[in-house]
Amino acid sequence: MKAAAFEHHEPTTVDKAVSLLESLDSPTILAGGQSLVPMLRFRLARPDTVVDINGIDSLDYLHEEDGYLKLGALARHADVEDSDLIDEKYGSFADTAPLVADPQIRNRGTIVGSIAQADPKGDWGSVLLAHDGEVVAQGPDGERVIPADELFLLPYDTSLGENELVTEARVPVPEAGEGSAYHKLKRKTGDYAMAGVAARLVLDDDGRITDAGIGMTAVDITNARAREAEAHLEGERPSADLFEAAGELAAEESNPESDEHGDASYKERMIDVLTQRALGDAAERAGVVKRRVTP
Amino acid sequence: MSSEPDLTAEPEEHQHADDGGPQPEKHCGHGRGGMGEEVTRKEDKRFITGRGNYVDDIKKPGMLHCEIVRSPHAHARIEDIDGSRAMALDGVVAVLTADDLLEHDLATMPTLMDDTQDVLVNDKVKFQSQEVAAVIAEDRYTAKDAAEKVEVEYDVLEPVVDAEEALEDDAPLIRDELDDQEDNHIFDWETGDKEATQEVFDEAAVTVEEQMEYQRLHPAPIETCGAVADWDPGKDKMTVHMTSQAPHAHRTLFSQVSGIPEHKVRIVSPDVGGGFGNKVPIYPGYVVAAAASYVLEQPVKWIEERSENIQTTGFARDYDMTGEIAATEDGVIQGVKVDVLANHGAYNAAAQPSKFPAGFFNIFTGSYDVDAAYGSLTGAFTNTAPGGVAYRCSFRVTEAVYLIERMVKVLADELDVDPAEIRRRNFIPSDAFPYESATGWNYDSGDYEKALDKALEMADYEHYREEQQRRIAEDADKLIGIGISSFTEVVGAGPGKQCDIAGIEMFDSADLRVNPTGNAVLRIGVQTQGQGHETTFAQIVAEELGMDVDDITVEHGDTDTEPYGLGTYGSRSTPVAGAAAAVAARKVRDKAKSIAANELEAAEEDIEWDRESGEFHVAGAPDRSITITEIAAGAYMNSPGNEEPGLEAVNYYDPPEMTYPFGSYIVVVEVDRETGEVDFEKFVAVDDCGNRINPMIIEGQIHGGLAQGIGTAMLEHVTYDDNGNVTGGDFMNYLLPTANEIPNFETGHTVTPSPHHPIGAKGVGESPTVGSPPAIVNAVVDAMSHAGTSHVEMPMTPDTVWEELDEVGLSISPSENVSFEFDDGASEEPADD
Ligand SMILES: Cc1cc2nc3c(=O)[nH]c(=O)nc-3n(C[C@H](O)[C@H](O)[C@H](O)COP(=O)(O)OP(=O)(O)OC[C@H]3O[C@@H](n4cnc5c(N)ncnc54)[C@H](O)[C@@H]3O)c2cc1C
Repeated sequence: MKAAAFEHHEPTTVDKAVSLLESLDSPTILAGGQSLVPMLRFRLARPDTVVDINGIDSLDYLHEEDGYLKLGALARHADVEDSDLIDEKYGSFADTAPLVADPQIRNRGTIVGSIAQADPKGDWGSVLLAHDGEVVAQGPDGERVIPADELFLLPYDTSLGENELVTEARVPVPEAGEGSAYHKLKRKTGDYAMAGVAARLVLDDDGRITDAGIGMTAVDITNARAREAEAHLEGERPSADLFEAAGELAAEESNPESDEHGDASYKERMIDVLTQRALGDAAERAGVVKRRVTP
Repeated sequence: MSSEPDLTAEPEEHQHADDGGPQPEKHCGHGRGGMGEEVTRKEDKRFITGRGNYVDDIKKPGMLHCEIVRSPHAHARIEDIDGSRAMALDGVVAVLTADDLLEHDLATMPTLMDDTQDVLVNDKVKFQSQEVAAVIAEDRYTAKDAAEKVEVEYDVLEPVVDAEEALEDDAPLIRDELDDQEDNHIFDWETGDKEATQEVFDEAAVTVEEQMEYQRLHPAPIETCGAVADWDPGKDKMTVHMTSQAPHAHRTLFSQVSGIPEHKVRIVSPDVGGGFGNKVPIYPGYVVAAAASYVLEQPVKWIEERSENIQTTGFARDYDMTGEIAATEDGVIQGVKVDVLANHGAYNAAAQPSKFPAGFFNIFTGSYDVDAAYGSLTGAFTNTAPGGVAYRCSFRVTEAVYLIERMVKVLADELDVDPAEIRRRNFIPSDAFPYESATGWNYDSGDYEKALDKALEMADYEHYREEQQRRIAEDADKLIGIGISSFTEVVGAGPGKQCDIAGIEMFDSADLRVNPTGNAVLRIGVQTQGQGHETTFAQIVAEELGMDVDDITVEHGDTDTEPYGLGTYGSRSTPVAGAAAAVAARKVRDKAKSIAANELEAAEEDIEWDRESGEFHVAGAPDRSITITEIAAGAYMNSPGNEEPGLEAVNYYDPPEMTYPFGSYIVVVEVDRETGEVDFEKFVAVDDCGNRINPMIIEGQIHGGLAQGIGTAMLEHVTYDDNGNVTGGDFMNYLLPTANEIPNFETGHTVTPSPHHPIGAKGVGESPTVGSPPAIVNAVVDAMSHAGTSHVEMPMTPDTVWEELDEVGLSISPSENVSFEFDDGASEEPADD
């Protein structure tokens, strides 16, 4: 790798990092480096200064607290993959982690870095959207909380300020009757999604859907919510017909582009298929229905 | 140059067929690592312990670094190049352009197909990322910084990347610097008997036709190309460490291009991290490094980045083919026709024997006994990187095998005959060898039905056929497809009169020296890039001389010490240099006889070589025996006087024919009707490479090649957009399979020795890459052929497969076979529509 020269800072506390970000001229944060380093290698990124946050131990956590599942800025994809808590309670997270990139990248890359990168093909943005999650940012003016819905603006562009450090991503702890899932179509291990769908359902005792979240990957300029599909689900009981209709609505709401890996029309169709599959898993994980696949 | 006839015709006592059961140690009585033993690879110790020595590991005092400035445009005239801002950077030593190279007559270089390629663009850029200028600096970061500061003014021209469009009348002319070039047409080639074939087609009861593209691939060795050039003005000698699959041929070319006499050029190919045909051609980067070292009188290193490797060095395939078969109603093939449009890129830089502009593509009648065949091919220039290298194959045999194995499946489906059965009806019978094909190839030996039968049994073929029918009957959401490929390869070029590289006949060589203390060094003219030569060639000598394999060191890759050879590609190492090693060892054995006679105080005629014990003994007195170690001592310390002292031999082997390894692969896939995803259920590979030197190394070669076959069929494609931008030019877009995409392989073998090879061996390293893509495509097609599918293009992405599913009415939505049951017993039934 022959990156352009840059200055490297390695703060060990959030305060120090924030003050560096404030004082330096257009600094770039380095977390797992799995998106930034490739950009440095291609010289698509040419930062003068890099603030490496890997030495800030206080950002290395993944736990439940105050009604949230909290992922610190140094929680790696592999931490999610290896967590019993995730396995037990967070279906969509458990589905997503092993589908991100490859094992080497998962050992380094972080969830927060992935969200900050705001690649429309990134998987975690969809999960965050489906869960009505949020990120916590520290900047010169202190802390602010940004809901996922207000985070993603354009490809690789978020509503974060240049000097803001995201310390945490979080989603509410699941209620009773809640289930979630993530389905992703990719060509090989290490490949980004051709299309992906995160789904979250909350079912009442009667088996009626009281809340639904659907986030889509790689089919729009940002990770995107399928709002009409969500609305269509609410108040209904899971059925193949219902999920088929939701799949069609989600496909309509998507805006994929054709590329070497697939045509736009195919990707749209896959949003339909993946939405149905993810909803099926989510419904089953909510614990109220059982799915039968025939034959 | 040719070897002694009595030796070459001597496959000796280990020439026997076997049924493919376990066979290690069968060939070699002494158990010290001869033929057939699974000797652990000698080279692995240094690789596993991090002691490999690749070009980029080489550091020389005062070494400078080269970075190449490349064109962002695919077709553009260069108006001006200004290197002053680059030169102004600290640590920059030189900025080179075509003008600088012109002074030394190095602005262009010949390709292996006798075209002339710019080393640095002189006038017009002809493909994206072509070499425009070079920066030489004290370290590689500075070189890269400076390369960005070289200012090039381009007059951008309209590009053409598609071969068919390139041949249209209004296409932009790419090679306007050539005198009589008025269009983008390079050559026409034909093979076989056109009229006879047409007659067969006119009268045939059944004909089938299919168009298929063998997409542009890029061999992707883990190590990219690179060189360290070191001009020594004290010795007037140029030493180039480089990633070369053919160091001697490259030495001759280097000398011819540079004018430096050949005895003052040394090419060293150290450890090479994979070649796959990518490291056969000469690339501008090598020449620039050498020119810079010559001018600056300092060593210069050039190491390619990954995307430079994919975007500019030799690609493979890119054949647009139309195949036709004429057959009887019973499916007996009578004639094969094929027409090809070949995209050669901006220069004709294919790497193949010079008399074969389409390589060995005319082996397209495959494993089948066909009376009449005709093939025609047109080569075209386009604004894409040059290439057409033999990516893990013997010069276009891959395209030929794909064509015929796909066509046989098309025929089977047309006639509704089982694809295994239709092959059986058409195989060249095992008693018909040697067999001359309709396009003039002399197949040495084969038993195709045996390999197919074995594969069918291993694959549990009948079971999967039943399962396939069951799924169809039940309208299941996943379909089963079974694909077969019963391929034949042609490997081991020469013979020298038939095959040459840039005029040099394709023989190969071995130089064996037995030391006084009884161990030996074997130097060979071929070059290993992962094939395991340091082990297998030692095994050949161990077998022939009764030595312990650990007592033999194999050296290769240094033109100052190794005998002249043509290098490793096209599975030629064992067929050619392997034969040379065996013959050299037998020469040593002959000489050893007189020394043995002297030592044992017997007449030379009475000395017998016993392969079982690996010793010489006096006829009729087995206990009066002597080993090669003892003979070696005798050769140097008690020489008989009637012979020259020492115990050495050299052999330059010109093969009488090529060898024809073959095999049958069976692939079972599951196709997801909702997404078009393909999963491998079973993957059986039965190979026959004649006598087997090291079964473990063979299995490793098969596994690697099958992985590349899967990459070919499912993932890999160098794509371009209409502006000539490479859109598949890095590993995010040029997708290689990982271990996760590779299923469990079940390998098996049969043994049909080559009758003309000294140890009865054939090449094997490339069979799996050549043979597996059609098996995989046939499997996917087979999953849908009941609904009318006849072809799916590679790479078979989920999208391509789904489009086909949809086209033939097999695509479904998940809702069609899912239902939900509530805890209270209520259920929501599947949608009915
Ligand atoms: C081959 C390959 C395949 C991949 N496949 C996938 C895939 O399938 N799915 C997927 O989702 N991702 C994939 N990725 C991307 C991977 O998930 C990255 O880990 C992730 O996108 C970035 O996380 P990181 O910690 O490595 O961030 P970095 O690369 O360190 O940073 C990425 C960006 O985010 C900013 N940033 C990082 N941390 C913070 C923070 N705390 N606050 C504010 N800004 C911050 C950085 O400044 C930078 O701009 C792949 C990457 C590669 C190289």
